[in-house]
Amino acid sequence: MENFFIGIVALFLGGFISLLLKKQDYKLKFVSFMTFIAACFCLIDAVRVFAGDRLSDMLSFGVMFQNLVFSMDYLSAFFVVVISVMSFLAVIYSNGYLKNYILKGKNITAHCLFLPVLIASMLLVVTVQNALAFLIVWEIMSLSSFFLVIFEHEKKDVIKAGIKYLVYMHVSIIFIIVAFALFSIQTSSFNFSQFTDAFNVNPMLANLVFVLAFVGFGIKAGFFPFHNWLPDAHPAAPSHVSAMMSGVMIKTGIYGILRVLTFISHPEVQIGYFVLIISVISALYGVLYAISQHDIKRLLAYHSIENIGIIGIGIGVGMLGLAYNCPIVATLGFAGGILHILNHSIFKELLFLAAGSVYTKTHTRDIETLGGLIKPMSKTALLFLIASIAICGLPPFNGFISEFLIYFGMLKGLMVDNISMFIALILSIAGLALVGTMAILCFTKAFSVVFLGEPRSKEASEVKEDTTISFIFPMSVLALFTLLIGIFPQFIFDFMLKPVSIFVDRCLFDATQIISLMQIISLCAFGLIVLIFVLFGFKYLFKNKNEKYVTWGCGYNKPTSKMQYSASSYASPFITMLTPLFKKVVDIKKPKTIFPCDAHFEMRMEDVEEAYFLKPLFKSLETFFAKFEKIQNGNIQQYITYGLIFLALALVCVVILG
Amino acid sequence: MDKNIMLILFNILILLFMPFFVIGIVKKTKAFWAGRKGVSVFQPLFDTIRLFKKNRTISSTTSWIFNFAPVVVFATTLFAGLFVPMIQCYSIINVAGAFVIFSYILGLGKFFALISAMDTGSSFEGMGASREACFTTIVEPAFFIILASLIVLSGNYTFASITDVIKSNGTFGVLIVIMAVFALFIMLLTECSRVPVDDPTTHLELTMIHEVMILDNSGIDLVLITWASGMKMVILMALIANLIIPLGLGLKASIGLFLLTLILLAVIIGTLESAIARLRMSHVFEFVFVMSSFALIVASLAAVKIYGI
Repeated sequence: MENFFIGIVALFLGGFISLLLKKQDYKLKFVSFMTFIAACFCLIDAVRVFAGDRLSDMLSFGVMFQNLVFSMDYLSAFFVVVISVMSFLAVIYSNGYLKNYILKGKNITAHCLFLPVLIASMLLVVTVQNALAFLIVWEIMSLSSFFLVIFEHEKKDVIKAGIKYLVYMHVSIIFIIVAFALFSIQTSSFNFSQFTDAFNVNPMLANLVFVLAFVGFGIKAGFFPFHNWLPDAHPAAPSHVSAMMSGVMIKTGIYGILRVLTFISHPEVQIGYFVLIISVISALYGVLYAISQHDIKRLLAYHSIENIGIIGIGIGVGMLGLAYNCPIVATLGFAGGILHILNHSIFKELLFLAAGSVYTKTHTRDIETLGGLIKPMSKTALLFLIASIAICGLPPFNGFISEFLIYFGMLKGLMVDNISMFIALILSIAGLALVGTMAILCFTKAFSVVFLGEPRSKEASEVKEDTTISFIFPMSVLALFTLLIGIFPQFIFDFMLKPVSIFVDRCLFDATQIISLMQIISLCAFGLIVLIFVLFGFKYLFKNKNEKYVTWGCGYNKPTSKMQYSASSYASPFITMLTPLFKKVVDIKKPKTIFPCDAHFEMRMEDVEEAYFLKPLFKSLETFFAKFEKIQNGNIQQYITYGLIFLALALVCVVILG
Repeated sequence: MDKNIMLILFNILILLFMPFFVIGIVKKTKAFWAGRKGVSVFQPLFDTIRLFKKNRTISSTTSWIFNFAPVVVFATTLFAGLFVPMIQCYSIINVAGAFVIFSYILGLGKFFALISAMDTGSSFEGMGASREACFTTIVEPAFFIILASLIVLSGNYTFASITDVIKSNGTFGVLIVIMAVFALFIMLLTECSRVPVDDPTTHLELTMIHEVMILDNSGIDLVLITWASGMKMVILMALIANLIIPLGLGLKASIGLFLLTLILLAVIIGTLESAIARLRMSHVFEFVFVMSSFALIVASLAAVKIYGI
């Protein structure tokens, strides 16, 4: 674990020493350098864990935390790999992304402090083995990410989104505290090692604790109906921070759920269904709202909800497999879910970074004003396209592998002789298929409206060149990862079996059949790529002439960019089909008089859950608590009276109770 | 010759060349019902050869996507076809969970078809793409439900095993197959843009879906796309045919029966196109949703068969 601690120390040092540096530019460079060192050291330890060592170390911090255990099992090591690699790439990207802000004279001191602190706290969250210390690093993580989100704090909506995020995180931690409190009451210890099988005698209580933990961690992860902070916080944050939050940080919520699951070890059937149902709904809800969004980062944020849902489906299938004693189903479910954590962190980070590049060049996140960017920004466009295909779960990229594992787990689960399992799984299969096709709809929309066609505004048409290497490099690395995992799934599946072995006993199943299946998929992916490029070459054998002309418009030869299909019109048939699920907010100013001079139309879709559930809930809470306002009236005499009454009551109690 | 090699050859030949004849037969049937003589059954093949020699006109708005997409559409359809069982239920790539791989590979083709349509910046093609994407979201889940149910019934995860359903499940098997065939037939009409969902003969109606997406494609690009859509038709027909045709026939009989089923399906499609008009766009959704109800019936029948009432 020494290497890991060196990494953590390097991160904290990087953050705090950067405070002393004078030039803004150097601060960021220094932080990136320290992050690089930290990532290397953490990876060394993670690799050692995968090679077979089980690392564990005890540290003492004062009276409160004597013998605080940090350890890395396969699950922690997996998360350490994801966090260190993805954070490092995001930090490299920030060098390019923040340059414009630095040039404008923006102070990035606080940003440079909290960036490494966030990474360090995430690394600690996945390794610490003590409930109390876990809550502390969890809180550090939430707070540091809050400060990163409000980078552009001079904007009103950024502060609003930040506060919303902060409130959600504190609701989340309440649930986690309660769940951990129940564990530690049962075991009279704060150590995770003692928590294992704490509720074996009382499955009802185990279910309750799991649900509490699921809600707590689910708020962080963004499961429906606790997802509302995501679509606000991600657009508000700078792109590399959204990439880190969506790619890495929300996964710590999944880590929490998985960790609590290891304590329970034999989940009941009910919580398996609970996780599965919540996840299917999250996936559908996320992608449904993603389709209706025009803000590229909001769209991506909703897609995070979708992908968290897919991860949850995997975990749910795994839990059902455990509950029904079907190790192969459990293995496939967990392997698919955990692999999707990695996959999602890769392509979602890539998408956010690419969206950030577009934002840097055009200064807008509204896709309705973009278009035609594939010509000036060809590299960014290609990277965004790769990530889009990957996130839709299409071969030959990585998203397909995890989704296939989950599908295959569900198909195997159909054979478990149980009617409720049959119904749940067949609907989940349909749900996952629906999510996949809706993702295709959403990403063909996002990609084509941003990058294809003609520019829809002056800003978009003025873009002349692509972004610099500090933008392109981290994105290219991510794109390479998506392709490698997609083409060589057999190795990654073999690697995934290690974290899965924490949940499913390895001797219970035979993975060779699935590995050989993965080999066939690998060959297929390879064959498909070869076929595509051979045919593409073949096409050039025909030396026919190409003629350039304007797009066919029924004989009309002066098309303008306004005639193109826009994002809302592309999504319109689908959204009209499902009108009841949206709350349409229309802002319209119709053209009036004979010579109308101005008209205006804007339509956006509000979150139904927020509009019809959360807002009324908070309103009623507000009116309820307003009734108590009279008690706190600012009158000092009255407060003294309260004190006297309290003392008198206390005295009476003491006298009566002896 | 080894029987396997022969079957592989047959599969590839059917996949590559049957599309022309199927489309030719549909056209011939329509001509017959309209009282015309109609063009030869080989006309689609001649058209293709003619298009190979033609120059292309490319919109100046487009990027490399527009050039690349037809190849992806063709390659993915061809590759997906390798997973599909054809004569004697033989599929070239026979793996567990094949239908998932099959659908997702087709999905890749669809992804490129959609962005290629959007690449032209034309409002027509954008409209076609948006409708196509929308119909896919209805069709695909239903397809997954049907295939998953059939897989449970046959107890085997490969694509080829779906034919066991009739044999091993008695009356229930027959019922399930009828429902599944109906659902797949609706899928065939939707995915291959036939009446009543879409009309492949009119090019510039505002009601168009698939055909309007390829308005700007010409020359070899057009060949690749129309060929691929014909292949998709043959693939779906092959699925239907394999559900109906019993196993255990001799090679010659099964080849004959298979081709006969394909021709029959083409004639049915042609007759259908002559008999009914295409639906209004708002009603098309309802029509496609019928497939979902068939799929749910298949799933519930499967559940009843396995777990009893």
